Amino acid sequence: MELKEQLNDIFCEVFDDDDIRISEEMTANDVDGWDSLSHVNLIVSIESKFNIRFSQKELLTFKNVGDLLNAIRSKLG
Amino acid sequence: MPFNSVQYFLFLPLVYLVFYCVPDRARWGVLLAASFCFYSALKVPYLPAVLALVTLVTYAFGIWVDGARTQGAKRAFLWCGIAANVLILVGMKYLPFLSENLGTLAKLFSPGADVTPVQALVAIGVSYYVFQAISYLFDIYLEIDTPERHLGHFALHLAFFPKLLQGPIERSCDLIPQLREKYLFNYENARLGMLLFTWGLFKKVVVADRIAPYVDNVYNNVHAFKGLPLLLATYAYSFQIFFDFSGYTDMALGSALLFNIRLTQNFNRPYLATSVADFWRRWHISFSRWILDYIFKPLQMQWRSLKNWGSAAALVIAFLVSGIWHGASWGFVIWGGLHGLFMACSIFYKPYQKKLHKALGMEKTKLLKWWQVFVTFNLVSFAWIFFRAATLADAWYVASNLFNGADGMKEAFLFLRSHELTMTLVSVAIFVLLSALFRQEKLQQLFAKSAFKRYLAYNSLLFSLILLAKYGATKSFIYFQF
Repeated sequence: MELKEQLNDIFCEVFDDDDIRISEEMTANDVDGWDSLSHVNLIVSIESKFNIRFSQKELLTFKNVGDLLNAIRSKLG
Repeated sequence: MPFNSVQYFLFLPLVYLVFYCVPDRARWGVLLAASFCFYSALKVPYLPAVLALVTLVTYAFGIWVDGARTQGAKRAFLWCGIAANVLILVGMKYLPFLSENLGTLAKLFSPGADVTPVQALVAIGVSYYVFQAISYLFDIYLEIDTPERHLGHFALHLAFFPKLLQGPIERSCDLIPQLREKYLFNYENARLGMLLFTWGLFKKVVVADRIAPYVDNVYNNVHAFKGLPLLLATYAYSFQIFFDFSGYTDMALGSALLFNIRLTQNFNRPYLATSVADFWRRWHISFSRWILDYIFKPLQMQWRSLKNWGSAAALVIAFLVSGIWHGASWGFVIWGGLHGLFMACSIFYKPYQKKLHKALGMEKTKLLKWWQVFVTFNLVSFAWIFFRAATLADAWYVASNLFNGADGMKEAFLFLRSHELTMTLVSVAIFVLLSALFRQEKLQQLFAKSAFKRYLAYNSLLFSLILLAKYGATKSFIYFQF
């Protein structure tokens, strides 16, 4: 399964909404319930699913889903 | 030189006139010199020196953080720059508090110990520009921003007089680009700036300063009252501090607009918030964003494996810092701690809250919204008790006697001679009427209304300022002390 699809599944699970279709430009404003609390759950789910660990600097500079995807890709690379 | 003083009413147009007349390349110099003059007017000689020190230290560390070759070196420069700023802030603001508490602690262990308390320094404005300096260094480290090489522009972004004493706390990436822009006279900005300034002045001298005597009368001698007067004074303070601080912010934003500078909007009808978290998205927005970005988020991410408990702990710590930022006293610490606690509890309560609303069939109803507004306003007002009371003992007395009869009701109102009370009520009524026209984010829309409505609004403002303002007993702005 492509990385983006895998990430989409995590989004659906965390935000409890099967209709979410992520895109690179998507931000927290575009997803219902994506606040600072659910953001932590999202990050923890991604880290455990891909078995990676983001740095503080990465976590504080993600602007959109595209940044998130790039960071995952570079870690799996 | 507070914004509601005659000196400022002369200072602002004079600075504008000089700024307007000089060529573009000299304009930053005019504003920088004006800002230092403005700061010097406080007649505390070391304050401009502290501002200059913070400016030079942060300017240098910004360039070093950016220029360092390795991540480790970048981090080292970042922490050194932050430590230097924090040391300056602690030295200016917290040494008396620390020495006093250390003295108490020392006496516990060795009753004969004698720790001489440190004299308090005047630190007006320091906590605002130090926070701004820290955010600048952080943003360079995170590569959200690049260091400003022009020392003049850099110094001006920290010192710019409309926001120097009480914020808003600007981010460099928002403010510095505006300072570099060529100035062209903009009629819309000029008239909006003047209207905002007048509106802010109205909020301060007509509304806040009229509510203040009642609050002061009760809070300066809380033990003379019980129950209802304490409750009313606490509610009155919630409104006083809002009108005082948002009035100040409007005057700051209005002053800056004359120079085509848009500062951050600090308020968005905070008492209509439906939760404490929502309140902090609407109250002192530039400050809460700072606390969120530079304290809460890093801590929350650091403790992410603890999930909700990590977020709750990060919230409590972030708001304790927020309390201490306001001043070195236990009242502010408890005020911040209460806000942190309210929000930490809501993390755990949220899932049940949703279920409860569903079970009651109240989801998305107006009644639920107004109930939430009511609860939030009361929680926030309760916390203000610790913010306003002179001592912790006073605060505790007020908090534990809010619903304990109505002793002293007559004395609480006695000093308000009948015409004073009428004028206060008229002032509030005029505010409510004008608010309909002056919704902050829609202030510009007034200019699109008919000339009759516009001039009715302008004249109501002016006549209120002449007839209803509390002159003679002008109080300084509450947030001045932070």
